[in-house]
Amino acid sequence: MRQSVRIIIAVVAALAVLVPLGYFWFDSLVPSTYNMVAMGRPDSGGGPDAHRHGGLNVADLKGPSGTADVAVTLVARSENGRYTLNHVTPGPEIRARKGQLLEVTLINESVADGITLHWHGVDVPNAEDGVAGVTQDAVPRGGRYVYRFVAPDAGTYWYHSHQVSDDEVRKGLFGTLVVLPPTPLAAKVDTVLAVHTYDGRRTINGRAGVSPLAARPGDQVRARIVNTDAGPVRVWVSGADFSVAAVDGYDVNAPGPVADQAVVVTAGGRIDLAFTVPSSGAARVDVGAGAALAAGNAAGTPEPRSNVDLLRYGSPAPLGFDPGKATRRFDYKVGKWIGFLDGKPGMWWTVNGHLWPDVPMYMVTTGDIVRMTISNSSGEVHPMHLHGHHAVVLSRDGVAASGSPWWIDSLDVGDGESYEIAFVADNPGIWVDHCHNLKHAEEGLLAHLAYAGVDTPFRVGGKAGNQPE
Amino acid sequence: MRATYRVLALLIAAGVVVQAAFIAVAWFQVIHELDSGSVFDKNYEGNWGHMGHTIVGSGVIPLLAIVLLILSFFARIPGGVKWAAITFGVVALQFLFAALSFGAPIVGLLHGINAFVLAGVASIAARKARLAETATPVDADTPVATA
Repeated sequence: MRQSVRIIIAVVAALAVLVPLGYFWFDSLVPSTYNMVAMGRPDSGGGPDAHRHGGLNVADLKGPSGTADVAVTLVARSENGRYTLNHVTPGPEIRARKGQLLEVTLINESVADGITLHWHGVDVPNAEDGVAGVTQDAVPRGGRYVYRFVAPDAGTYWYHSHQVSDDEVRKGLFGTLVVLPPTPLAAKVDTVLAVHTYDGRRTINGRAGVSPLAARPGDQVRARIVNTDAGPVRVWVSGADFSVAAVDGYDVNAPGPVADQAVVVTAGGRIDLAFTVPSSGAARVDVGAGAALAAGNAAGTPEPRSNVDLLRYGSPAPLGFDPGKATRRFDYKVGKWIGFLDGKPGMWWTVNGHLWPDVPMYMVTTGDIVRMTISNSSGEVHPMHLHGHHAVVLSRDGVAASGSPWWIDSLDVGDGESYEIAFVADNPGIWVDHCHNLKHAEEGLLAHLAYAGVDTPFRVGGKAGNQPE
Repeated sequence: MRATYRVLALLIAAGVVVQAAFIAVAWFQVIHELDSGSVFDKNYEGNWGHMGHTIVGSGVIPLLAIVLLILSFFARIPGGVKWAAITFGVVALQFLFAALSFGAPIVGLLHGINAFVLAGVASIAARKARLAETATPVDADTPVATA
């Protein structure tokens, strides 16, 4: 063979390897500034085409004006390797009553990357949702942003930064929000347990180990557990039977007594436990890794082996809508595959078979009844979190829910599991729908739900350096 | 070019050794941290051993394997293309085993064993290059061995 022919063959072979690789690499690159609604693969879920942007501006979808019932100012700082709000982490616990107007003024004193506050689990108007680059610009050092919204439902919620969220939440930029019902609760002791792992230490309200629970014999206790971590937390009660009073801010219908079982709190999720302190005065709530709240110096019982199955817990009740009349059906299949993520080779999360940013953009119109099947074959659990809406679990692995309506905003979908959920599209805007293991969101496990005709003036990247994940 | 091919192949084999060292130090580090009361859970971000293993495993070694394959088309080493392609394939398989191991940890055994296969095939590729270097220079009309 002649030398020239040989070289041509070699060049062709080299190109056959390089061109596809180069294409995949180049194709994965994400512009430094982009509009979230221009990314992804539009999916109208089998309903009428809803892929329209423009008309309604996210920035206009604000909470009401008027005098606030509860006004709070939160000053964010970077201090001692952590992020604080008003010098503490977790930030101040905010309490309000259902229907009250909240006004939270966020001031960034010294967080270099900028900050936002997302009201996790609260179905706020879109402009108050606090997602940098989608519903607002990140608040830079020296800047401020005012959030105003009416607390729509009683329950346990939390707030956290949705700018560079993995790093900022991990290092403490969060706090809790309790919305009380109009009629006072029966519980005499109503306490929040914000579970967070700082530098390898699991804490409750910032304290590692066992902390005192101020409750006396006979007291009814409502323990509001908020999982602000990246993975599931198992919670159990020693010294008393308990009930699961609420999940993700929604009361459980007819919750039964639980003994010798634990409850799994999804990352980002909340569980309210109710129990009565026995006459001995000794009762204790454990959240694992040695962190607990104890009344009467109660010792902890060993961690129970089985978990309360929320698919069957409590009694059925009307949902308020008919999932059988769904107008759109979506798939949210989480997988893992080899490829480039913004030019970086590795094994990355996929949604419906594609790597970010080629993930679905779920298009809906106001009033739609939406069913979504979330399945996971990625090898790891994913706590899936949809902003701005509460969804009800219809089934798991084909087994229909038979207990109380199980309303969620954060749902653990384990490897090999498949959940079908349903919700009413009643809150126009652009809502991210992502994994609340925030490292995973950063690695591309973040899609969004967009209402037809809504557009955002905000950009990911850009001058504000918006980085919602 | 043959020398470069040989060095690349040896670097891949050496990379396997580095990977074994990284993953060992990563998990001893975790175990050591547990002794001081640290929690190992989903919040754990990995230590420098994990990070090194990720960088070398999903960046450096695949890049070397691709460069080796491309170089092999030009290097005129008997068996050079074949062994570069096999090396590339074994690297791809290593990725696959890693991906599957998160859901089915038992597959991790194959990830570990396949690492030694990679070191083996990369060493064979290096040997092919050395043999070609020491042999009489190839005549311009000698067909290029591609298999």
